[in-house]
Amino acid sequence: MAQPLVKKDDDRDDEEYSPFLGIEKGAVLQEARVFNDPQLDARRCSQVITKLLYLLNQGETFTKIEATEVFFSVTKLFQSRDIGLRRMVYLMIKELSPSADEVIIVTSSLMKDMNSRTDMYRANAIRVLCRITDGTLLTQIERYLKQAIVDKNPVVASAALVSGIHLLQTNPEIVKRWSNEVQEAVQSRAALVQFHALALLHQIRQNDRLAVSKLVTSLTKGTVRSPLAQCLLIRYTSQVIRESGVNTQTGDRPFYDYLEGCLRHKAEMVIFEAARAITVLSGVTTRELTPAITVLQLFLSSSKPVLRFAAVRTLNKVAMTHPMAVTNCNIDMESLISDQNRSIATLAITTLLKTGNESSVDRLMKQITNFMSDIADEFKIVVVDAIRSLCLKFPLKYRSLMNFLSNILREEGGFEYKKAIVDSIVILIRDIPDAKESGLLHLCEFIEDCEFTYLSTQILHFLGNEGPKTSDPSKYIRYIYNRVILENATVRASAVSTLAKFGAMIDSLKPRIFILLRRCLFDNDDEVRDRATLYLNTLGGDGSVVETDKDVKEFLFGSLDIPLTNMETSLKNYIQNPSEEPFDINSVPKEVKSQPLVEKKAPGKKPTGLGAPPTGPTSTADTYERILSSIPEFTSFGKLFKSSAPVELTEAETEYAVNVVKHIFDRHVVFQYNCTNTIPEQLLENVFVIVDASEAEEFSEVGSKPLKSLPYDTPGQTFVAFEKPEGVPAVGKFSNMLRFTVKEVDTSTGEAEDDGVEDEYQLEDFEVVAADYMVKVGVSNFRNAWESMGPDFERIDEYGLGPRESLAEAVSTVINLLGMQPCEGTEVVPSNSRSHSCLLSGLYIGNMKVLVRLSFGIDASKEVAMKLAVRSEDENVSDTIHDIVASG
Amino acid sequence: MLLAVLIANSEGNILVERFNGVPAEERLHWRSFLVKLGADNLKGVKNEELLVASHKSVFIVYTVLGDVSIFVVGKDEYDELALAEAIFVITSALKDVCGKPPTERLFLDKYGKICLCLDEIVWKGLLENTDKERIKRLVRLKPPTEF
Repeated sequence: MAQPLVKKDDDRDDEEYSPFLGIEKGAVLQEARVFNDPQLDARRCSQVITKLLYLLNQGETFTKIEATEVFFSVTKLFQSRDIGLRRMVYLMIKELSPSADEVIIVTSSLMKDMNSRTDMYRANAIRVLCRITDGTLLTQIERYLKQAIVDKNPVVASAALVSGIHLLQTNPEIVKRWSNEVQEAVQSRAALVQFHALALLHQIRQNDRLAVSKLVTSLTKGTVRSPLAQCLLIRYTSQVIRESGVNTQTGDRPFYDYLEGCLRHKAEMVIFEAARAITVLSGVTTRELTPAITVLQLFLSSSKPVLRFAAVRTLNKVAMTHPMAVTNCNIDMESLISDQNRSIATLAITTLLKTGNESSVDRLMKQITNFMSDIADEFKIVVVDAIRSLCLKFPLKYRSLMNFLSNILREEGGFEYKKAIVDSIVILIRDIPDAKESGLLHLCEFIEDCEFTYLSTQILHFLGNEGPKTSDPSKYIRYIYNRVILENATVRASAVSTLAKFGAMIDSLKPRIFILLRRCLFDNDDEVRDRATLYLNTLGGDGSVVETDKDVKEFLFGSLDIPLTNMETSLKNYIQNPSEEPFDINSVPKEVKSQPLVEKKAPGKKPTGLGAPPTGPTSTADTYERILSSIPEFTSFGKLFKSSAPVELTEAETEYAVNVVKHIFDRHVVFQYNCTNTIPEQLLENVFVIVDASEAEEFSEVGSKPLKSLPYDTPGQTFVAFEKPEGVPAVGKFSNMLRFTVKEVDTSTGEAEDDGVEDEYQLEDFEVVAADYMVKVGVSNFRNAWESMGPDFERIDEYGLGPRESLAEAVSTVINLLGMQPCEGTEVVPSNSRSHSCLLSGLYIGNMKVLVRLSFGIDASKEVAMKLAVRSEDENVSDTIHDIVASG
Repeated sequence: MLLAVLIANSEGNILVERFNGVPAEERLHWRSFLVKLGADNLKGVKNEELLVASHKSVFIVYTVLGDVSIFVVGKDEYDELALAEAIFVITSALKDVCGKPPTERLFLDKYGKICLCLDEIVWKGLLENTDKERIKRLVRLKPPTEF
């Protein structure tokens, strides 16, 4: 297929067609034989390599045999002295990435080039060798690489440094030995060498906090020659700041001045990096934030889309934590809604949704409605998520927001988008009781014309649980039965289950439900018929109106407390070994097998969401409940009241990573220690935690469950249970020691040695605090809830909180102390305000509803005073809330 | 990580496609996603005007140069600003090799050189060289002038 190329030398500009027109792999491979000619034609060889590159860049692949053949031929080209061809050969070898057994043929030529007097041969040979090398070869060339790092020629040094960055992934122990040379290269006068050296040095030392801190200290004072390196330095500085915290005496934050100085750098890249670093400082104050927000605001009206995007993206993130700080940018942001770039417009909208106040909601919704019609589904999903958060923040606005959601639900859209809307409506129904009836009706209307089986079944399931609890359940029956008539078998089966749930919950509807279920007995799908038969029997389908007993309700509404994977394995075993005995569901083990970490990491690795849709989220509370109920020792503890967020008990990057989740029951607490072994050469067995509760007097240990085995990178759990006085919010401090038997593992075979050694590992302490006994439960209308709770058990008192950093800091401290849900966006304190009211709601242990009104005031000397009014269903609970604040 | 550099002609046919750390099974998705992104947004865009998009944690910066559209995809430290830097280097190098914003034919005529330039600019997902003068010398195995 060389024809077009032959013509190439004619009048080039007149040629319309591609020089690669009709290119075909087989023919090019034939042409590659020219590499074997005794008299090499460098120009022709370069042309053939170009064709091979073209094929590879088009996504064409070579078989093993083809690749080997081309590779061997290409190596012959080292004989040519043509410089242009040599450069092509280097590239071609990298592209072919020969296998370990083939590499040998080219190493001697490359080693020769690596010691060549021509610098550029050296640089390229290093890059090729490092691309194709393995550990053994690397030790042979290590000496040259170390020299190359400090080579006078910046290209050679950069080649060695970038190679080092890549090799660190595969041969960390070798690359770590180069740190002296890399350290020297960081001081290089060549900008790119410094950039690459800095990146490598940080990777080598990333686990050594002190070294990173020293590196940052010296470089922030010295000269950094390229904006790219400056950006790296800002990132590392940010890490050091994160780990060191604020100087408590002076209130100064280390390196803040450096970051602030970078806001005035001439390169935009550096300005943004610094602004971002400032916005993510933990506990950042308004004073620290202001200069960063100001530069970002300027970029909002830049003519370059990349800068507008970067600015709005950063402000969007800031709006999540400090919405008030971003409000100054709202006007600039509103003009971005009409930005041609839809990514920018979406980010602007979602930022405005976060920073807007209750009065601006309606105006915003109007703007969004126009905007929605011309953006893609992926952006719409982002907007839907933002609207959901807005609705939870301003529950009184649920009508207009719910209407918006139901309108967009009726419009065209793909599965992911529709799922996002349905999920949002479901969450709003759950969290805002007033929104329930209208929300359910919107969902009912949606399933009348829903093309997605998955969504229809999910909604039917939800309707079965929530519908019977509404004021007029009968109005949903028509929608559900329509599904039995009109849908596919999967949806029909779901609808049958939903009907049965209505029958079980509402006795007056039972006779009518039975009639409908009996009709389903003639369905042409066996699953639908089976379900109808099953439900008619369990509900007593003879038509008499009897109260459905507890077991039946449990059967209909309870969740399957067996992990599905266990069920699947047991059923497969049962089929493989046929038996007369019927399958016994009690024989299925309930223990949750730990998932290898690798699998969990997999979705994170995916750089794109274009693949298969992710599986629906299971709530962590459900997962915890399932895990705990599978442990016989803990089944007598009753219903799980609350599970805390995991508290880390080890530092990052340690041998064993352990965190603890505190599960609170009425009379017990269970500590779930999630352990991960990060050492490939070790297998841990009989893992358990020794807990010292001497500083937690009211707790006494009643049981524990060790973890039999903890292989590398496969998280597992061990549990310790304590008894405590009923209903009392007992607090205390717990010290922990991890004990285990460690066995050596041969990493090549994965087999562990028979004998192990007992060992222990000190974990950090943690505390059970008052907030652990409070579940965050919001109310849609605080005022109504407050009025209806009544003043019977109201307790009011005033407190002096002493001098505080700011009003916002005082508010958030009290919220965290109580562990309650802030309502109606009152957790946000406008900057410069001298007083603030905050509304909190929660469910205290014993399922007691609690509402709190906090009024704060701050004086010129930053002394904060607070008035606390509590209403609850029990006077003891109201008193306890005051005790918590008084002792906190 | 600089996940991908992709260059397509005005009809959306791929001319150069280089992925780093993207699983083989996802490449096709990326290819069609980027081509569609270009078809939707690049009409009437001036040479070298940068457009930007993001998808979850991945950023895309793209532009037009003559008859070809250029896309770079990155994540983590290769955010929209770093990608803008990378695409600037790529467009400068292309203009340098071709002498002007290339027609498709000119691009293909200079294909070998262009591959060498890209090899100097991005190495397995890391930005290596950023100066077009230096790149111009490196592809001819000449040491940089400042040395």
